[in-house]
Amino acid sequence: MLNVSNLRVSYGAIEVIHGIDLQVNQGECVALIGANGAGKSSTLKAICGLVPATAGTIEFEGQDITNQSGHSIVKAGITMCPEGRQVFPQMTTLQNLKMGAYPRKDAEQAADVEEMMDMFPILRDRAGQAAGTLSGGEQEMLAIGRALMARPKLCIFDEPSLGLAPKIVAEVGETIARVKEMGKTILLVEQNSAMALRLADRAYLFEAGEIVLSGTGAELQSHPDVAKAYLGH
Amino acid sequence: MVEVLQQIINGIAIGGVYVLIALGLTTVFGILGIAHFAHGSVSMFGGYLTFFFVTSWGFPLLLAILIALLVGLMLGVLIELLAYRPVRDANHINAFIVALGLTMMVEGINLELFGHEQVVIPTDFSRVFNFGGVTIPELRLYVILAAALLIAAMTVFVERTKTGQAIRAVAENRDAAILMGVNVKTIPLVVFAISTALGVCAGVMVGSLFAIAPGIGEGLVVKGFAVLILGGLGSIPGAVVGGLVLGITEALAAGFISSAYKDVIAFVVMISVLLFRPQGLMGKA
Repeated sequence: MLNVSNLRVSYGAIEVIHGIDLQVNQGECVALIGANGAGKSSTLKAICGLVPATAGTIEFEGQDITNQSGHSIVKAGITMCPEGRQVFPQMTTLQNLKMGAYPRKDAEQAADVEEMMDMFPILRDRAGQAAGTLSGGEQEMLAIGRALMARPKLCIFDEPSLGLAPKIVAEVGETIARVKEMGKTILLVEQNSAMALRLADRAYLFEAGEIVLSGTGAELQSHPDVAKAYLGH
Repeated sequence: MVEVLQQIINGIAIGGVYVLIALGLTTVFGILGIAHFAHGSVSMFGGYLTFFFVTSWGFPLLLAILIALLVGLMLGVLIELLAYRPVRDANHINAFIVALGLTMMVEGINLELFGHEQVVIPTDFSRVFNFGGVTIPELRLYVILAAALLIAAMTVFVERTKTGQAIRAVAENRDAAILMGVNVKTIPLVVFAISTALGVCAGVMVGSLFAIAPGIGEGLVVKGFAVLILGGLGSIPGAVVGGLVLGITEALAAGFISSAYKDVIAFVVMISVLLFRPQGLMGKA
């Protein structure tokens, strides 16, 4: 479904991604793990059109989407639930959810809002509340719901557990598992490697802008280097 | 009491003009972070154009306004594309200088095309209504109604339409808006078109209520920014409240103290409000 080949990304003169290759197949949950600054989020941003790729190609469902504008990538079927939630703080919860359906032109958006509110009941209680006043956990649920409102073919989660209390992190993990059960294809970037590898069918380990290891979630969980450096075993 | 009501009505009319100017400024500032100083001069261009169509070509007033609005929409798009877009990702000082240069340019164009004489847009609205001793000239009533209608339309547009929500989204978080599928290159064009159209309406109101002359637009944009600060930057209800407060204060000052000091008194009130509410009347702390 998603095929990234020899991707390079630079910020000014500094190259942060040094020619990586990764694939995400239909229905899979693929995790990108690694230390802070390893290049995971930059990879996601290049896929979503937020930063330009300086070399390499990104193909989605057979189409070259390298360096296309962000809005056309969303139209192609990729949405991202960004790091730090990035809800629209002065808009209400309901308005945020509806913004998720911005590229859609069908008449089923109201039904999907109801579905999201059934999936995340707290959002129904907070429907008229400014999103900036929600707790971190509530904002994360809103960001996930908002991303799903686009009915994406590929749903990207960037550090969904960042800055959340342990109990909420567990809830976020359960939510991503539910999204996976809905049949969505997922690309997950997560510093909580244990959670990411539990959820993932396959995973890639990033170090200093390169992929140094890949395999199934279980394989990486049992890999001695990963277990020692990222799982604390 | 009647005299006070009279001045309040006068203040609502000019306040309505300030609100339209401020709404144009606040949407542009919200999306691009640009203090669009040329907005007042562009508004006056719309007023001059309406005057020209009515007096030189004999167009009916409504048709003249409609054509001026269409020209205004296109002018807004051109300003965004040719003046501000090239400095979009540059240092903020670049956009600031472009805004100042654009103001001088539009003022120069106005002077070259329409001359330095003061002009008043002629209308047929000469009746005067009397409500319990408070007189309202027909033109002033229409200006108030038109301003109210435009403010309501703008509010509905921003709150209820998909494009309006996209404008809000870009203003609140540009990257997140991109991730929602918003085309962030198109939105500024829409914003400038709307902003300029509102400005043209304000220019027509000023030109028919008072007069248009070189320099009026620059004064108007200063009032527009004062309204934004008074009401709360980036807030549409703030622009409405701020514009009305400034307009009514000016009218009361002119009516009961001295018209020569109306601006001084209005700005003293504004500074006093900001001392107690630095975020403006409707802004969030």
